[in-house]
Amino acid sequence: MTKKARALSAQSRRQFLKATAFGVAGAALGARPGLSAPKTMSIMHENSFIKTFDEYFQKTLIPAYEKLTGVKIKYELVSVGGLQTRVTTVAETGTGPDMTLNFFNWPFLYDEKYVDVGDIAEEAGKKNGGWHDAAKEAVVVNGKWKAIPFGNVGQLMNWRTDWFKEAGVEKFPETWDELLEAGIKLKANGHPFGFELGHGFGDNHGWLYPLLWSYGGREVEPDGKTVVIDSAETARAVDFARIFFQKTMLEDVLGWTDPNNNKAYLSGQISCTNNAESILWAAKRDFPEIAAATDQSLNPKGPTGQRFHILAPWSHSIFTHTGDQQAAKDFLRWLMEPPQVGGWYASADSYYAPFLHAFDDAPLWHVEPRNIPYRDSLATSHLPGWPAPVSRASSESVAKYVVVDMFAKACAGKSTKEVIADANAQLKQIYRPA
Amino acid sequence: MSAHSEPIPLQAPRRRLLPALRDWSEREEVFSWLMILPPMAFLVALVGYPFIYGIVLSLENRPVAQPGTFIGLGNFLADFRDPTFWQVVQNTFVYTAAATLLKMVGGLGLALVMNQAFRLKNLVRAVLLLPFIVPTVLSTIAWMWILDPSFSVINWLLVHGGLAERGPSWLGNPALAMTSLIVVNTWRGLPFYAITLLAGLQTIPPELYEAATIDGAGALDRFRYVTLPLLKPVVFIVTMFSLIFTFSDFQLVYVLTRGGPANATHLFATYAFDIAMSGGQFGLGASVALAMLPPLALLIVALALYLRRA
Repeated sequence: MTKKARALSAQSRRQFLKATAFGVAGAALGARPGLSAPKTMSIMHENSFIKTFDEYFQKTLIPAYEKLTGVKIKYELVSVGGLQTRVTTVAETGTGPDMTLNFFNWPFLYDEKYVDVGDIAEEAGKKNGGWHDAAKEAVVVNGKWKAIPFGNVGQLMNWRTDWFKEAGVEKFPETWDELLEAGIKLKANGHPFGFELGHGFGDNHGWLYPLLWSYGGREVEPDGKTVVIDSAETARAVDFARIFFQKTMLEDVLGWTDPNNNKAYLSGQISCTNNAESILWAAKRDFPEIAAATDQSLNPKGPTGQRFHILAPWSHSIFTHTGDQQAAKDFLRWLMEPPQVGGWYASADSYYAPFLHAFDDAPLWHVEPRNIPYRDSLATSHLPGWPAPVSRASSESVAKYVVVDMFAKACAGKSTKEVIADANAQLKQIYRPA
Repeated sequence: MSAHSEPIPLQAPRRRLLPALRDWSEREEVFSWLMILPPMAFLVALVGYPFIYGIVLSLENRPVAQPGTFIGLGNFLADFRDPTFWQVVQNTFVYTAAATLLKMVGGLGLALVMNQAFRLKNLVRAVLLLPFIVPTVLSTIAWMWILDPSFSVINWLLVHGGLAERGPSWLGNPALAMTSLIVVNTWRGLPFYAITLLAGLQTIPPELYEAATIDGAGALDRFRYVTLPLLKPVVFIVTMFSLIFTFSDFQLVYVLTRGGPANATHLFATYAFDIAMSGGQFGLGASVALAMLPPLALLIVALALYLRRA
């Protein structure tokens, strides 16, 4: 044991004694929340890309809560990419951690195994200036809050300001057509674009759904039943994607999964991609020159004059199998109080764009002003399948990569008619009446 | 020593019982069952139960974390109407056929070479097994680097060797992606073939070769009339195993392409996993996984019949 470790363990012993004393005192007074709570509870998270974020939870939030209530919180970290399998197992078997982090549409997938947390969510909204609309889209299932929204890991256009400038483009293009024009020049200069068209999780959906929507295309009507992918709007979006791919990109992108565009961008092979903040974050750490010449912008507008973004929300839920649901609720309620949630958000700078309006102008946005478009993108962010509500069918469509592959096949050379017919057949099957 | 005298009456019946039990258990029909029982229990628990559960799931509309409802063959009908499903079928067959054939030919060649006497033979044999020993996920990550769109070593060599301006897109081009996967699978499965066939080769009595040589048979004839016929049973067994493993491959595809580009490399197992896990449709996922059973069973029965006839 090093000196430091010894000091720490001595400190943690002291903390433990203190916490126990507090707990006993609390129990005696009977006024603290969670007084009849179990001594330990657990919450599952996936290893965050931002190390300080996990550390803040483990070293600041957990000890603070223990000090206050005597309840020990176990922060169970799952390796990247493994959380959904874990949540599925826990939901299926009814054993395991009490609470979990969710990505994307999980509150809809596991809703029957999640506790209604509407009371906490409403209260957190009131105390923190209200929720962004996108937050509700992410977690309200059949009128019930099945999770407490946290933040959004948005996707924006990441681009090289130096190379764009070289090609005569000073500002990031406002429309897809202008972006295509810029891309042609950049590719000619040896700086192609790279947008994922393969089977990753985020970076493909991150630009393809917004592209489809901004052209007026939709998978289904808001009723969540009528398939409308076969439209002139979709056809125009597909035609655009094919040209955009051929004239600005390399064939590689068809086989890309999520890490590929980060690597290609950071090695100076591409001049523009659609990604979360991870590129800028890693560039600042490892490639300062690239970071200095990188900016992030909102997705371009389509012919409809609108722009869209993908919603990639993080939220927290309580499993129904949890022994003491009240204790879990007490913890989440405490977490969402302004001092706690504010510190939690700030620990990752603005990587997780807060869903709470009170943080719209918080200092965390000034740490990296290039992240401000992430906040601005929330108003135009939606989950795949929009404008229909999330359903089992929309999840199946995402799992089968229907929209991604429609575009990918067109880029690989199939006709627009063919790829839309394929997508239409698949969607009709997926959205068939039960 | 009265304490010793007490147990005697108790031991008396046991003495009669024990030999009887031993006699009974040593009867062949009993003993064989006793020996088979533990592995049977093991199989039932770890293979039988999940398998039956899989069949039940495939007949249900069973979203994740929700109770299922019986829908008969509904999931299978849905699969048959799904164009991607048919692409998956085609991919799996191409993948299995090509990889198995390559492994068979390559493995046989390798075994023949290994069967010769040369220096460091044992070391080479041990090294040969490496691809098979290294956990697939690890070795596939190495392949990921070899085939990486941005940092492919092959492409680096091609470009720096002045052979190409930029290398091909190994995982981005649908046909090349499938080819790459077949190559990686062959690389991984080759040692299994080679070692098994090598073991088979070593059981062939040298006298047969001597006799053939005396009869005037050349190297090719010896291979055709002695080696091949005697090796056939081993070839079939190893092919059967290989077919099963290749047909139901998962890790390789999952690490390298996740089924992309545009489903060009999706196999039964990866497609089933995506539907069940990401899509939360256990029933439909199980039906895709089970759909691989009939063709696989047919292949194996055909092989077994052929083997018996031979």
